[in-house]
Amino acid sequence: MVTPYDRRTAEIVEEVRHLGRTYMRPMGLESDATGLPPPADHPLYLICARQGGLVGREVGEDEGDEGLDWRPFRSLLINEESAYWDRGVALSLPGPGLGGAALRTTATAEQRARFLSVFTDHDRAHWGAMAMTEPGAGSDVARIQTRARHDGGEWVLNGSKMFCSNGARADWVVVWATLDPALGRDGHRAFLVERDTPGFELLRIEHKMGSRGYETASFALDEVRVPEENLLGGEAFYRSREGFRGAMATFNLTRPIHAAQGVGMGRAAHDFALEFVHTDYPSEGRRRTRALEQLATIRRQLQTARLMCLHAVWLASRGLPNTLEASYAKLYAPPAVLRSVSVALDILGEAGVRNDKMVEKLFRDVKILDIGEGTQQVQRVVVARQLFGFPRDP
Amino acid sequence: MTADFSLPDEVVELRSALERFARDRLAPRAREAEADGSWPEAVLLALDRFELSSLDLPGAFGGVGIGCLGKVVVLETLAVADAGGLPAADQPGPTAGALSACPEGDRAAVVAEAALARRAASTLVVTATDEPEAPAVVEWAPSWPPLGWVWESRGDRLRLFGPGPGVDPGSPALAFGASGTATAALSHWPVAGTWTLPAGGGLAVRGRARLWAAAVTLGIAQAAFDATVAYATERVVFGRPVAHHQGNAFELAASAAGLHGARLLVYDAARRFDAWDAGTTEHPVDAGFWATEAFLETTETAGRVTDLGIQLLGGHGFLVDHLAEKRFREARMLGLFFGGRARAEDDLACALVEVGAW
Repeated sequence: MVTPYDRRTAEIVEEVRHLGRTYMRPMGLESDATGLPPPADHPLYLICARQGGLVGREVGEDEGDEGLDWRPFRSLLINEESAYWDRGVALSLPGPGLGGAALRTTATAEQRARFLSVFTDHDRAHWGAMAMTEPGAGSDVARIQTRARHDGGEWVLNGSKMFCSNGARADWVVVWATLDPALGRDGHRAFLVERDTPGFELLRIEHKMGSRGYETASFALDEVRVPEENLLGGEAFYRSREGFRGAMATFNLTRPIHAAQGVGMGRAAHDFALEFVHTDYPSEGRRRTRALEQLATIRRQLQTARLMCLHAVWLASRGLPNTLEASYAKLYAPPAVLRSVSVALDILGEAGVRNDKMVEKLFRDVKILDIGEGTQQVQRVVVARQLFGFPRDP
Repeated sequence: MTADFSLPDEVVELRSALERFARDRLAPRAREAEADGSWPEAVLLALDRFELSSLDLPGAFGGVGIGCLGKVVVLETLAVADAGGLPAADQPGPTAGALSACPEGDRAAVVAEAALARRAASTLVVTATDEPEAPAVVEWAPSWPPLGWVWESRGDRLRLFGPGPGVDPGSPALAFGASGTATAALSHWPVAGTWTLPAGGGLAVRGRARLWAAAVTLGIAQAAFDATVAYATERVVFGRPVAHHQGNAFELAASAAGLHGARLLVYDAARRFDAWDAGTTEHPVDAGFWATEAFLETTETAGRVTDLGIQLLGGHGFLVDHLAEKRFREARMLGLFFGGRARAEDDLACALVEVGAW
């Protein structure tokens, strides 16, 4: 059996389970009803930020020489477990978020230490974020239009960004921009923009079908001036044509973790449906057997997805290429989870319509997983390019 | 302990050697073996040298003890080249789990000599506990070596019929032609032993057999995928390779992901059996449950992949000039083995609430 738990990770996952049961699920239900994410000063966030709390642990603060190194398995398992309780609230937890992944793949060691150190403040919660998507550039991130120009020892950013998770409450946002759209991927640069930088303006918090427990922000960037030293990786990094690859490497790390959130949500749907079978189905007979067979199918799909996520992260943790495997996980897991949640609804029957049964909420919550960080269609393109030279410009 | 998806060095080396053997010696003769109804003696001798049959058997039975994970990798590797003769050539093969499950003294007495000397084939029949007891019938089995032993798994009861007094030649079957065809009504076979296994033991026996089928199916599906990609990147239609039409590319990409997932599930189930055999886990249901899940996932995925393997070849796929049609029917037939998918689903429904936590 593949057992991804070391002792410390098992402790942390257990802590997440406790926080999930006590805080995250009730918070998620409230956000689902009100349409508003929990406030930034919610007690859960302070618990996560305190000394020895989840934030410090996720960035490895308490583990001596290894300092702020990322632990991909731990991150994956925390994400799976927290999404089990509420994926929206899980995404709202303090920490570097997607911006942290960008720092890991793109920034210099000095920049990583500088920007991640904010999470060693235990008196209040801190967030990081990443802004890649634009109104006109979603899956095709190569088409981003936000411009960066060099001016007097600073960088100046202009454009707009959307689907920036936790962006409105973040201490900093990693913003991807281009020197010139005509340069294509060679023109891409990543900048760390700190909160309250003049010209960095929150436009709105989006209203969504599900996953309402975290804020999804849209921004305008109007002559936003960024210090030279906030260009992640430094200019030499991009001259070596690593800029776009840096962005893509970020996704190779985060796609399996994103997919693993789906596994957590699917597990939740499975457990609700199994409980319903125990309490509401006849103790024997064809209906019960049929429902148990359906639950076994859910379990199979979720386990397959889980192994794919773990395998992709295992490759990354060994410094091995994982583009293909990360896309496999992201391609397979979200639709499999959606099917699983849908089957769980079938098991509940008409009771599934009621959102107090949770599965209806999960059905709405889970759909975004097949869109964020590259739709399944994008993943198929990635796989096709890798395996049999599917052309970039048909 | 952290997640580890690596294969032991000895398994990697064995796979490498078998890949060459399968490519050079097995694949070129696949059609010929099918027509002959058997694999050539030279191939069987070579497989003996690789110790195919004893890879996953305990040392007490002359096994190499490389484990279940090593065995599924080997089966997959051989099946990529030609799965047709595997049900016959790999003895006791799918029934290794049954052999290991029956009590030490009994199994040594009744089975080891004939089964392990490969003088007689064995197979596993799965009967359902919610159906009336009836004499087990072997609908299909390999005909070489002669079918001599039949295990029957019903719940946690394990029964062994044999040695067989003779079998009937079955109706000619196209799938697995290289293994021949035998059928048998067991009502006049002696019962060599009946055992009640510990709770979950029956599922483990069936799961081990299903994992055998899953590993072979995986190899067939991988071969189908590889051949499809090779053809579809060369054959040009409407001005570009078949594979570079987005509709086809997307199907191929989904197939690749499905195969990857099925392989991870098969290997994971094999690791669970190895952990169980090693005594590092004591959960009686776990390995059998996940092996059964792997069987369902793999046969389902292989159905899609081998179907696509014909579809993207167009009319060529329907002709015996290509191996696509052979893989298509073999993959489907494997889903019928050891009680088929329906009995597998029954087992999972019964075991679901007992299986370990997420």
